[in-house]
Amino acid sequence: MSQPAIRLEDVSFAYEKEKVLEDISLTVDRGEFLGIIGPNGSGKSTLVKLILHLLKPQKGKIEVFGESIEFLKDRSVIGYVSQKANTFQRGFPATVREVVASGLYGKLGLFRWMRKQDWEKVDQAIEQVGLTSLAHRNMGKLSGGQQQRAFIARALVSDPQLLILDEPTVGVDAKSQEQLYELLTHLHQQKQLTLLLVTHDIYSILSVVDRMACLNKRLLFYGTIDEFAKHDQEILSQLFGEGHGTLSITLSKGQKQLV
Amino acid sequence: MLREIAEMLQFEFMQRALIAGVIVGFICPLIGIFLVVRRLSLIAEALSHVSLSGVATGLFLQKEWGWLVGIHPVYVGMLFSVIGSLFVEKMRKLYHSYQELALPILLSGGMGIGVVLISAAGGFNADVAGYLFGSIVAVKEEQLTTVAMIGIMVSLFVFVFYKQLFSLSFDEENAILTGIPHRVVNLVFIVMVGLVISSAIQVVGILLVSSLITLPVAVSLQIANSFRQAIIYAIIFAEIAVLIGFFAAYSLNLASGGAIVLVSVLIWLMVVMFKRIRLIFNRKGFRRE
Repeated sequence: MSQPAIRLEDVSFAYEKEKVLEDISLTVDRGEFLGIIGPNGSGKSTLVKLILHLLKPQKGKIEVFGESIEFLKDRSVIGYVSQKANTFQRGFPATVREVVASGLYGKLGLFRWMRKQDWEKVDQAIEQVGLTSLAHRNMGKLSGGQQQRAFIARALVSDPQLLILDEPTVGVDAKSQEQLYELLTHLHQQKQLTLLLVTHDIYSILSVVDRMACLNKRLLFYGTIDEFAKHDQEILSQLFGEGHGTLSITLSKGQKQLV
Repeated sequence: MLREIAEMLQFEFMQRALIAGVIVGFICPLIGIFLVVRRLSLIAEALSHVSLSGVATGLFLQKEWGWLVGIHPVYVGMLFSVIGSLFVEKMRKLYHSYQELALPILLSGGMGIGVVLISAAGGFNADVAGYLFGSIVAVKEEQLTTVAMIGIMVSLFVFVFYKQLFSLSFDEENAILTGIPHRVVNLVFIVMVGLVISSAIQVVGILLVSSLITLPVAVSLQIANSFRQAIIYAIIFAEIAVLIGFFAAYSLNLASGGAIVLVSVLIWLMVVMFKRIRLIFNRKGFRRE
């Protein structure tokens, strides 16, 4: 039996005295596309940092592909695209190709240089995100959406099985946002990549994710989009407070649509 | 001109000076590029002032205990600079969100100790001026060997750890996530910075050393597209500055450290102006179309 991609059991975390996450338990299956939504300050990014082992939980267990995150030997199974990717220094002298290649450096280790096949991987990752024509362009000269794609390529180049994206659409225009979701859907279907997408933008992810987790310090909802649609008003008012506007979702055969 | 250069290079001390200058012109921008892109270029400034306190300690000890004359103050400066660099790394962790705070503390501390010890050691004389503003022609054979060894060490370090240094400079968080041994690399890097600074002090002096580390990089960032280019251009600009500054200082009888730095500033000005002019021409071109 294959292990789930991510398993959290009763995970709690606090910054000093301020509780950020309480008793979070959830399982993400291999090949699943999970969206995590929640208002600002709900602990979404903290949850991601716990899964990445950038922070340690005070309580609970975190496993990635059946291995406790503390002892995960091969870090390259997880690809990560951070929120910060949007705010990198524009003046940094590096081409798209150089940045994407850096995604391989951890895996290569200290004394191995980039070989021909490594550069081929880099070029493949760049092609996957549709930036081939800009491969030798300086990163700072790209648009926000293109930069985000380059960072996705950097995360993909080491062939991860799990890709985590933290607010990838912040500061990206509507059209690039759409393209980004298309790309993610494509990666999810073609490569059976497990995807975890964190966002406060509930509207745009309904049509792409398999399951949803709604977070506000505690896990308020965790289930499929159909289940979410049944209780959406209730969940959203719990999540964002009353008077969150009227959101109604109609679901037809296999099509998730927002009305 | 050529005859003048040939004549000058007949002197052994001039040959030594030139070799030391070329080595320092190579390793300063090589290390400097990583400092600049990580927004830590002030480290060079701070560590050079710590070196000053080391040099002053060396001078003071020489005066108080004559038997220490064998130890050149430059080596005491080097020791201080390396210890200072370790302190920077420690402070960077202490003030996580104000990483640059370590630098003014070091800078003023180093300067304070330096000034106090220099006056205790007999005040500001020609020797002290040499350390402050550089006296490339005073490089002894033994010192040249040290500079050369540091040059080889630093070049090897950057060559072997290029991937790790690039990752850490571009995105430290991601580098850590992908399993890059950041603590070791950061620590060795900062010690290398300390060594580069103490070896560059002999060429351009304590007060000008950070310019040799940051100015060529500042020029190269104006025109480089890739990181590799940025490194290569920075080294080329630094070497041009060292060579022109060195020969100009000899033939016009100027202070060599100052001349080298002035050439760097001139190169920077020329590149910035060239970029401006090109931009204006490009705009005009568009209008015509």
